[in-house]
Amino acid sequence: MTSTEPLIRLESVSKDYRLGFWLNRRVHALRELTLDVRPGEVFGLLGPNGAGKSTTIKILMNLVRASSGKATLFGQPPSNRQMRRRLGFVPENPAPYEYLTGREFLSLAASLGEVPRHEIRARVDEVLAAVNMEKAGNLRIRRYSKGMIQRIAIGQALVHRPELLILDEPTSGLDPLGRKLVRDLILSERRRGTTILFSSHIISDVEAVCERVAVLVGGRLVRAGSVSELLTNQVPVAEVVVEGITAEVVQALPTPLHQVEALDGRLRVRVADDQVNQFIGAVIAKGGRVRQLQPERFSLEDMFLSALKEAGPRGTVGGEISE
Amino acid sequence: MNAFLATAWNGFREARRNRVTVVVGAFALVTLLLATLVTQVTVVTFRRVMVDTGLGLMSLILVFLSIFLSSGLLAREIERRTIFLVVTKPISRSMFLWARFAGNLLTLLVLQAVMTAIFVAEMSLFRFPLGPAVWAALGMLVVELFVVTTIGFFCSSFLGQTVSAVVTVGLYFAGHLSGDLYRFGQKAGGVASTVGRAIYFALPNLDRLNFRSLATYDVVPTLDVALKSAVSGLAYGVALLVVASLIFERRDFK
Repeated sequence: MTSTEPLIRLESVSKDYRLGFWLNRRVHALRELTLDVRPGEVFGLLGPNGAGKSTTIKILMNLVRASSGKATLFGQPPSNRQMRRRLGFVPENPAPYEYLTGREFLSLAASLGEVPRHEIRARVDEVLAAVNMEKAGNLRIRRYSKGMIQRIAIGQALVHRPELLILDEPTSGLDPLGRKLVRDLILSERRRGTTILFSSHIISDVEAVCERVAVLVGGRLVRAGSVSELLTNQVPVAEVVVEGITAEVVQALPTPLHQVEALDGRLRVRVADDQVNQFIGAVIAKGGRVRQLQPERFSLEDMFLSALKEAGPRGTVGGEISE
Repeated sequence: MNAFLATAWNGFREARRNRVTVVVGAFALVTLLLATLVTQVTVVTFRRVMVDTGLGLMSLILVFLSIFLSSGLLAREIERRTIFLVVTKPISRSMFLWARFAGNLLTLLVLQAVMTAIFVAEMSLFRFPLGPAVWAALGMLVVELFVVTTIGFFCSSFLGQTVSAVVTVGLYFAGHLSGDLYRFGQKAGGVASTVGRAIYFALPNLDRLNFRSLATYDVVPTLDVALKSAVSGLAYGVALLVVASLIFERRDFK
């Protein structure tokens, strides 16, 4: 395997879950998903709850089997045991053994990750420091807060120094400080050259750390590409606030409008950037006044929302169900 | 091997920290009270009653503890999702299952060893040293615990916690009755004979591992009988664990 080949490759991967007493109903959790994650990048899987993000990650981690298609990590199938030495994983809402202390749990993870016995203590100390848990290392995990559990779970994923990190909703349910700490850990791993696949429905987190993203809705891939590419592909929009004119008159103007919203005697209108001049001219000609003009910065959130809107009813939680 | 030992040791540590060791205290207390009571009511049969109740109590506590520990173990790991952090490491699911089984068995063996030490001490106190018949019964209890634990792991590999516990308890009792079912089938003849034989071979024959009544009357089983019983129990348990591994390797952890 050369260094330019994708570390993760999904080719037309689908997953159906069978439901009901007779297992005759099917939920299509994932449909024909194809994507690559290249070495050294931070890749974000974005989508609402039930979009198929966790299913994708579970297929990669060999926790569930794909119904069809092919998934590989480092060129190997997810079931390859030796390959798993090279990756670290943090599941959604991680549940470490709560009867262990943080230090004991990391030692167990190091043993399972095939860290040589004489190195385990040093590695555990190193990881406890990295996740800022030195003081709580000797406390039982059942006494930990959610943020501390998340940090110890990230610690167990790092203790064997993986080349690839797979994180399922690592910032979900954390306070702003906890989220920042997790984001900083991801960024520090990226600086070390670790490849990271990161799923979230918190768009600001994805925007802060990811180079490329894929948006899943209802088990289908609806957008994929670099963050900058996805944002520049969008038509720039400006927000114009006008008064002295009714919404009906504005909507009757020949300029195509994105949105018209009445606001305290004024109208807030979103219009394509290249149509702004024509729109302002038309408003003045109809006796209206322009109070404010502001170009809108298109965010990943806008792109996400427009992808959801395009998906329509397919964007339902938990994938499509068929008999 | 390091990963196997670490997982097995973790299983033992889990049981210890969840304070299953209190059963030893309960055993010591009950046998002590019983000895006090028995000395008041009997002189001639004291040894027999003490061996009978001591072995019976030890078997009852350990068998139900083994059902409690094993029948929900894998299901609990899946439901609580603790398994996600383990089987995604470079260990196979089968290895995880066998290592957890080893940890469970280690817990039971340690508890049985401590209970046996208490029992020996108590019997020595009344100047009744334990003979080979009692040691044979204690040895066969180890095999019985092995088989019951494998049944628990087998059920837990594909059933939820509660159902697994109920089925394991059911199989335990059925295992003690399988010999009777076989004999009943043979007497009835026809289809009942075939069904009886099928059930007999499908279920573990736990009655064959029960040497406690022999120990009560100080009857030493022949080596041939003891070996055959132990080998059949161990073979049944290993076969069940292999099937459990195959199921566990293939199932989805949603």
